[in-house]
Amino acid sequence: MQRYLWRKTGGFLLTALLVSLATFFILQVLPGDPALLILGTEGSPEAYALLRRELHLDQPLLQRYVQWLADFVKGKWGNSWRYSLSVRELVGQAFPLSFALALLAVGVAVLAALPVGLLMAVRPHSPLSQLLSLGTQLGLGLPQFWVGILLIQLFAVELQLLPAGGREGWGSLLLPTVTLALPRMAILSRFLRAGLLESLGEDYVRTAQAKGVPGPVVLFKHVLRNAALAPLTAAGVQFAQLLAGTIVVEQVFGLPGMGQLLLNGVFQRDLPLVQNVVMLVVLVILLFDSVFDLCLGLLDPRIRYE
Amino acid sequence: MRKRLNLLAAALLMTLLVGGGAAAQVLNIAIPQDPDSFDPIRTVAAATSEVAFNIYEGLVKATPEGGVEPALASHWEVDPSGTRYTFYLRDAQFHNGRPVTVEDVVHSLNRARDPHLSVRAGELDMIKGIKALENGVQIELQEPNGAFIYLLTEVYASIYPADAEDLSRRPIGTGPYYLADWRPHQHLELRRFDGHWSGRQPYFAQVNFLIIPDENSQVLNLKAGRVQLIPRLEASVLHQVANSPGIKVEMSPMNLVQLFAINNARPPFDDLRVRRALALGLNREEILLGAAWGQGVLLDSALSPAMAQFYNDQLGEVNAYDPEQARKLLQEAGQENLRFTLTLPANYPLHVQAGELAARQWEELGLQVDLEIVEWGTWLERVYTQRDYDVSIIGLAGRLDPHAILVRYTTGSSRNFFNFSNSRYDELIELGLRALGEERRAIYWEAQEILARELPGVFVMDPLQMAAMRQEIQGWRSYPVYVVDVASLYQ
Repeated sequence: MQRYLWRKTGGFLLTALLVSLATFFILQVLPGDPALLILGTEGSPEAYALLRRELHLDQPLLQRYVQWLADFVKGKWGNSWRYSLSVRELVGQAFPLSFALALLAVGVAVLAALPVGLLMAVRPHSPLSQLLSLGTQLGLGLPQFWVGILLIQLFAVELQLLPAGGREGWGSLLLPTVTLALPRMAILSRFLRAGLLESLGEDYVRTAQAKGVPGPVVLFKHVLRNAALAPLTAAGVQFAQLLAGTIVVEQVFGLPGMGQLLLNGVFQRDLPLVQNVVMLVVLVILLFDSVFDLCLGLLDPRIRYE
Repeated sequence: MRKRLNLLAAALLMTLLVGGGAAAQVLNIAIPQDPDSFDPIRTVAAATSEVAFNIYEGLVKATPEGGVEPALASHWEVDPSGTRYTFYLRDAQFHNGRPVTVEDVVHSLNRARDPHLSVRAGELDMIKGIKALENGVQIELQEPNGAFIYLLTEVYASIYPADAEDLSRRPIGTGPYYLADWRPHQHLELRRFDGHWSGRQPYFAQVNFLIIPDENSQVLNLKAGRVQLIPRLEASVLHQVANSPGIKVEMSPMNLVQLFAINNARPPFDDLRVRRALALGLNREEILLGAAWGQGVLLDSALSPAMAQFYNDQLGEVNAYDPEQARKLLQEAGQENLRFTLTLPANYPLHVQAGELAARQWEELGLQVDLEIVEWGTWLERVYTQRDYDVSIIGLAGRLDPHAILVRYTTGSSRNFFNFSNSRYDELIELGLRALGEERRAIYWEAQEILARELPGVFVMDPLQMAAMRQEIQGWRSYPVYVVDVASLYQ
């Protein structure tokens, strides 16, 4: 157990270091000078020189990298160039929203995928199953921005039940949650269905049935536990993905999440913002991953501390 | 019991009415992007000037007609030499209640022209010195400069308290509104400033600028009533609001000059015949329809018709579509098989679409056009700064005064990424600074004609600014500069 934890921590730190190197140097080699981008088509050589000095862009690359990493570890994340706000403040606004949205979307997807997947596996040929199967395919195929706009059109413009966008109370999260949950639910229910069908054909099911264990007990106690592993892993990945933000849905619903923060940061070459936010997101995801691994171990002893 | 219920109902009704009344004085405006910084000498984003116009004021300010009117200066005088301006300060107070003093004015303007602090210092380098008077300031110029007074309407010439700190986040100005709250990617909340020197009270007590990046979402928000105004509607979504009940669209030229920039220093584009062939081979009507959905006005020079006082309206025939003549010119220049690269900035769909149409039109002349779509950062570096390109397309934002726009095409200008050089033109731009009235207009007419004939690039169009708003919103005023005048709106 101890060796396992040491190994995990070592891997964690190494990954973080590699990510910091990649983040920093990829941003440097990207075409587009931050000072030029800030000044736009009205820039002059004097203003350009002034900005480069102020942004420390005139210092050697390696020195800037080491300085940044040291500052990051110390929690000094500095100010965004684009917004003249501290990175801490910007993240403090965007992250809770992305976290809530990820939790809601994946939660709804899991809860909805459970009955849908079960039904499609247990009664594969019933008309309802066929309909659900078609539905999940649609859920996978429809572009999210289109679903989002359709939902706004229906619930905000026509019915005037929900806000058309923005971050105004929990009601404003309802439509984005549905938009995000739909394709994820489709994936999870298909995973679950596949897992269930596979498990239902296993020997231990026949054994259980033969010794007279009631059908629902077999299904929920034995089969589901085995079949849930793949969809739960997938749900974990989905959650981690959503923590980094969802650019399309945030744009459509005008939500100030991590996706928009990063997107604008990259376009504007807002180096302190992008570097620090990417590092933070990676750390959070690595952390989540480790905890999630431990949790999966509880569910399936086979993957414990290997 | 019943009586009490009635009372309760009445109270409820009252709150509803009062609440409703208050709610009616809130205006929500959709904009796609956050401002960058509210420190006047550090801001460069158009998104900032749009909002800051309502918060800050300078000695003078812009009018919708493109003129200049008194703001913090009640009036001003220019001495006969044209180099000494005296501005008389009126009684005004800042948002924090402190009266505006002569020291504040001197401090703000000196900060704006300090090259160690201000990113726009270069624009005020004609100022020799600023002197405090008892009731105003005296600004001495190196030499007469007709453009100077217009520069004082820019955000960087705003007046703020000399002891203000952290202006970038907490602007303190004298404008009709003050910034109450700013949440990036969400909204800016402006509140009416009751101490404004004019004594006039704008209708809306609270104005929220909501950040909505997606143009379809902007329209849906307008239809759902969450926002009442979209100051800059994308042409591609115009059809979604055009016939919507309860919504109207007001159009006016944007004062943005869209042009195909040609690298005049790079052969064979140093040959006027080649440049002219590109101009004559361009069917701009088709580009206007295809790229801007017809929502724009065609341009013949570097000034938009929005600059009514100076716009030369006699140039329509100079570069009229004539593919035959274009082919002939290419033949004369020996360039009928010319192959070149057209660089398009990816972040502007309008320019990319216009570029794609133009490429097809030029190919019809027998030319070979390689399209290259680059990111904005790359464009600024390669095209704008290093001037390493053949032909490109861009929109250049207009200003109040023609000099600020036209000086870009002079030989020595750092913003002259066309590498355009014409000695008569340089001379005219020099002269224009010192001329007044009719003489000045004539100078800029000639300068525009040179641009149309000598072709630093091919001028295409000024897209229309389309302000979409709920029917009940009144008082919209469009400006030839990038602002939203909130104080004039009512319902």
